[in-house]
Amino acid sequence: MIKVEHLSKQFAYYKKGIGLQGSLHNLFRRETLTKDAVSDVSFSVEKGEIVGLLGPNGAGKTTTLKMLSGILYPTSGSATVDGFVPWERKNEFKRRFSIVMGQKNQLWWDLPASDSFYLNKCIFGVEDAAYRRTVEELSELLEVRELMHVQVRRLSLGERMKMEILAALIHRPDILFLDEPTIGLDILSQQKIRDFLHYYNEKEKTTVILTSHYMRDIEALCKRAVIISSGQLVYDGELAAINHLMGDKKLLTLKAAQPIAADRLVTFGKIREQNGTETVLEVPKESLKQTASAILASLPVEDFTVTEVPLEESIAHIFKKEVAGL
Amino acid sequence: MNPYRCVFRMGIEKSLEYRVNFLLTLLSAVFPIVIQTFLWNYLYGNADAAALFGYSHDQILVYTLLATLVSQLVHTGFEYQVNEDIKNGGLNKYLVRPVTYRYYQLCSFFGEKMPQLFLLLIVATGLVGFSVLVLGLGLTPLRILAFVGSLLLALLLNFFLFYCVALLSFWLTDVNLLFGTVSVVLVVVSGGVFPMDIFGEKIALLFRILPFGYTTQFCVNIINGKLDWGQVGTGFCCQLFWIAAFALLTFWMWRRGLKRYVAVGG
Repeated sequence: MIKVEHLSKQFAYYKKGIGLQGSLHNLFRRETLTKDAVSDVSFSVEKGEIVGLLGPNGAGKTTTLKMLSGILYPTSGSATVDGFVPWERKNEFKRRFSIVMGQKNQLWWDLPASDSFYLNKCIFGVEDAAYRRTVEELSELLEVRELMHVQVRRLSLGERMKMEILAALIHRPDILFLDEPTIGLDILSQQKIRDFLHYYNEKEKTTVILTSHYMRDIEALCKRAVIISSGQLVYDGELAAINHLMGDKKLLTLKAAQPIAADRLVTFGKIREQNGTETVLEVPKESLKQTASAILASLPVEDFTVTEVPLEESIAHIFKKEVAGL
Repeated sequence: MNPYRCVFRMGIEKSLEYRVNFLLTLLSAVFPIVIQTFLWNYLYGNADAAALFGYSHDQILVYTLLATLVSQLVHTGFEYQVNEDIKNGGLNKYLVRPVTYRYYQLCSFFGEKMPQLFLLLIVATGLVGFSVLVLGLGLTPLRILAFVGSLLLALLLNFFLFYCVALLSFWLTDVNLLFGTVSVVLVVVSGGVFPMDIFGEKIALLFRILPFGYTTQFCVNIINGKLDWGQVGTGFCCQLFWIAAFALLTFWMWRRGLKRYVAVGG
């Protein structure tokens, strides 16, 4: 469905010195610099797949999405989305996908969202009945039916985001690019949008590329992750397999009857946290069984749980490794 | 519904959303008219201005009143939005949908203009009535029709003219200040403050060749009877020529500019 090969994008920019002096200097002499926003990135996405595009700020995620949606021309490389070259901007291609950007407004700010929905209906040539069905169904699922006739500028961020997603789905696109759709939202709104996207993908088999800094979004929606750091692809694979990169470790959370001395605990694994009677130990996956048995046999443990190393840590580890390697 | 008709309708809705702003439009047309009247009364009361400008007091009054109104009618404002879209990445939402940005903006501009046009036409009717009854302006239905036609073409010409200036944002990033300057210069050189032929035949000829006069002075000269029908026909041809020329220029600038577009922001 999506095929990206050696895609690169360079941006020209210039630096400005601090303060007024820098501004005056800039008036007469500007040094143009070049930044590799995306550098030689290749990956592909199958139909119906949800892929998480991850990376720290400035890694090139949004630039990649902008090239895949035809907003930007690449400096080099190639890409096809459903058989189309995105930056040729053919209308037939534009009818197949939608992009939602968490930090950009696509609705008419001074009018109710229902007007923007109707405009999208006209732009994409959606039949009346299909349009009515879509708006009814999606507004119900996103719980925004009562807000359809309120000026967009008067909506909260969460409400507006739901409207943005609804507007993007009016023409039932086959491909959806989501750039930080839950940014700045409260936990409940994030959850609602996650649940909705999960349901929608299951039902419509829409191909989705999602970028988000909230790992819960990624964990809940994506089986696969493509990680970009400093414009370069550093990981492409199963989300669950990312922990291998951390050396296959597990976390053991112990709750004891009384506080246990650290020198006793350290013999079982690396202490990550210790708070009164509660301790979090990091142990190698292959020796988990033996370690757990030994702990239960020798320490006054009341309760214990085994968890994975948080995904954030594993991904941060990949980012750091890449930065250090540069 | 055709998407551009829908955009046009939403433009009307948008301008009606803010009622006070909408009503202030009416005042924005009245104030310059009052100022112009005082100015020309003063000039003609203190010097032999008729000999100087080649216009009688009544003629210059009719001209300036109508010209003020026409320049209000053809006044744009969308260029700030275009600059903002190019500078801050707002263009993205148009690029990913099967619409042409130029026509989208044009329909939105015409839509937003419609309620204002309606109100200002009421003022214009009063003004023309006054000119006919008090100042002795001769009018025929055909002239009114030609005036309205020239006004619509003037709107179109002004749209493409300012759209060209706005597209400079692809190269200069921020051209907001340029809009103010261009706007002031254009009001003057289009004959929106006084007729350009008061500077003599050479200047008048120059402005008959340049596009600016076709956004204001030409329309006014139709209704005040200064042009015969041959000149009106030539004027319409010039208007159409300049519209086509600027439309082609915007097409070229858009294609070149998009290659430079950096779509800033997440």
